[in-house]
Amino acid sequence: MKTVIKTTRLQKVYNGSVAPVTAVNDVNLEFYEGEFTAIVGPSGSGKTTFLNLIGGLDKPTAGHVHIEGVDISTMKESKLFDFRLRNIGFIFQSYNLIPVLTAKENVSFIMLLQKRPRAQMERRAVEMLEQVGLEDKLNSRPNQLSGGQQQRVAVARALASKPKFVLADEPTANLDTKSAFNLLDIMLRLNKEENITLIFSTHDQRVIDRARRVITLVDGAVSEDKAVSAEKNV
Amino acid sequence: MKTLIIISWRNIWRNRTRSIIIILALVLGIMGGIFSAAMRLTAEQQQMEDALKNQISHIQIHHPGFVANPEASYSIPRGSELAEELEQMDNIWAVSARTVFDGMAASANMNAGVRIKGVNPDSEAHTTSLDELLEEGTYFTGEGRLPGVIIGRELANDLNCHTGSRMVLTFQDKNNNMVHASFRVEGIYTMTSKDFERRTIFAHREVINSHIDHPDAVTEIAILLNDMEQYRQAAREFQEVWPDLKVRHWAQLAPSRYHNLEILDQVLIWILVIILLAISFGLLNTILMSILERVNELGLLMALGMKRSKVFSMVMLETAMIAIIGGILGLLSSYAMIQILNTSGVRLPGAEGMEEFGYASVLYPDIPVSFYFETAVVVIIFAILAAIYPAWKAIKIPPAQAVRQE
Ligand SMILES: Nc1ncnc2c1ncn2[C@@H]1O[C@H](COP(=O)(O)OP(=O)(O)OP(=O)(O)O)[C@@H](O)[C@H]1O
Ligand SMILES: [Mg+2]
Repeated sequence: MKTVIKTTRLQKVYNGSVAPVTAVNDVNLEFYEGEFTAIVGPSGSGKTTFLNLIGGLDKPTAGHVHIEGVDISTMKESKLFDFRLRNIGFIFQSYNLIPVLTAKENVSFIMLLQKRPRAQMERRAVEMLEQVGLEDKLNSRPNQLSGGQQQRVAVARALASKPKFVLADEPTANLDTKSAFNLLDIMLRLNKEENITLIFSTHDQRVIDRARRVITLVDGAVSEDKAVSAEKNV
Repeated sequence: MKTLIIISWRNIWRNRTRSIIIILALVLGIMGGIFSAAMRLTAEQQQMEDALKNQISHIQIHHPGFVANPEASYSIPRGSELAEELEQMDNIWAVSARTVFDGMAASANMNAGVRIKGVNPDSEAHTTSLDELLEEGTYFTGEGRLPGVIIGRELANDLNCHTGSRMVLTFQDKNNNMVHASFRVEGIYTMTSKDFERRTIFAHREVINSHIDHPDAVTEIAILLNDMEQYRQAAREFQEVWPDLKVRHWAQLAPSRYHNLEILDQVLIWILVIILLAISFGLLNTILMSILERVNELGLLMALGMKRSKVFSMVMLETAMIAIIGGILGLLSSYAMIQILNTSGVRLPGAEGMEEFGYASVLYPDIPVSFYFETAVVVIIFAILAAIYPAWKAIKIPPAQAVRQE
């Protein structure tokens, strides 16, 4: 199996207001192509921090993050911006969409920054919005969409540019149960169909069950890393 | 780039009221600046034109010695012939040959130092429109027992005399003998320059020349050109033709006036700069507010891979768009305003009844087109300056923090 992400002795220490906080502590993990992984753990266990580190949004205090062999922890910032743009898809919990752009424009946004040909971009954006069941909302602005619909647009955007992997930080936290399951189903289906590696954080037991691999963080360290049989998910 | 423009454009209309208010402020600021500039410039030009038309003319010729010592002994050799020769020239509108010197004017109980100008009534009327400036009395009719003088309103007040009053002028003849000559105040003129009014007396040149025992004397030749713009070139040409005489154009004759007009342009642009500077702070504040409201969103853009330089450009573009809208609307409204006021005129409050003192009570403001361009440049520069700080703030947002769900 091809390794997409590899972390070695990854550590992040924040200068907290009282004492330094070790948010991620000596994490050594490998993520493989096509995986569908959940990062779980109680609040404050370091899930967001870990995702930010492997997504190149934050710099580790110590240790390394290799993406397909490229060390991004030592990369210059301007190169990192470009690297993120070309290789990593992001889905956040909220503030996901650009309010002044329509659903279709939001989905096209990454490809636009990548300077893809316009026609190809249009086709792909419409295709992805169809995939997430929003073919009738192409020209809606985010404020005209429900929370679940907005997250589906974010999923469509993250996957539209076919990144090496997609990071989703609590993508279902603001959704009701039905929308949460719906979103997870879409993510799972796209993970299979497009063979895109997907890593998401959650402390929502409802969605943990859908993952193939569940990594548990406690106080910034990996306390459990277990594979779940594929059959259980069907 | 196109997307950047679309995003910026939509961003500025997110808070419609705020954008409209700052645009309105820009429009009103520009209109105010251009209005005050046009009024001042027009007032100054009107005074300048009056001064040229009634006092200075475009070019004056003297004997070189006369400049330091305005005496009858420094008269222009063959001055009358020279004046006639000038009068024949194509580019000259009018010529007035004068005998000018300093002397004393005395009424029944007071006296004052004055400059006496002996003129040919017709040529003088042609050159300085002296006849049109009369507020009372007549213009060298030649009637009456004593020869007439025309004096300024200020001098008339100082010496407490009226039309018909007797006036004695004291001066030196060509042999430096004192001459006392009696005149009658025939007319009283007014003009913009109170100083000129107080100091200058007009009499018939023949009368003056006979008193100084120098029938052909001409100490000053004032020239009005057909085309005022030619004054420098014409003065240079005359100087070449008559190297022994002193030829000066109005900018040399009234250097401070000329200088005032020269720097007025800059003064006016500085007024505009100050107005727009104040508005720029409003613009800066507006943009900064919009940045602080969008911290999460801007963080998202950068998290997704939009380069800081692009985010910077986006903020600059938003500011530029507001400035361009405000600037264009401001300049168009200003242009329309000036066009309307230029035909309707602006009545100056408090100036009614001042016409008799030479002030116009209605101004027809105008401003050169270049001023609109200068204004546009100032607006653009200030918009850029106002955008830099908010744009810098925007790119300092750490993407990792901004996208954390708080
Ligand atoms: N900028 C920061 N400065 C100081 N401490 C921080 C900062 N960001 C996070 N932390 C601390 O780091 C630890 C891990 O935070 P993190 O947000 O990664 O946890 P999490 O697992 O994502 O929590 P949640 O489930 O609530 O989202 C927490 O103790 C948090 O208080
Ligand atoms: Mg978190």
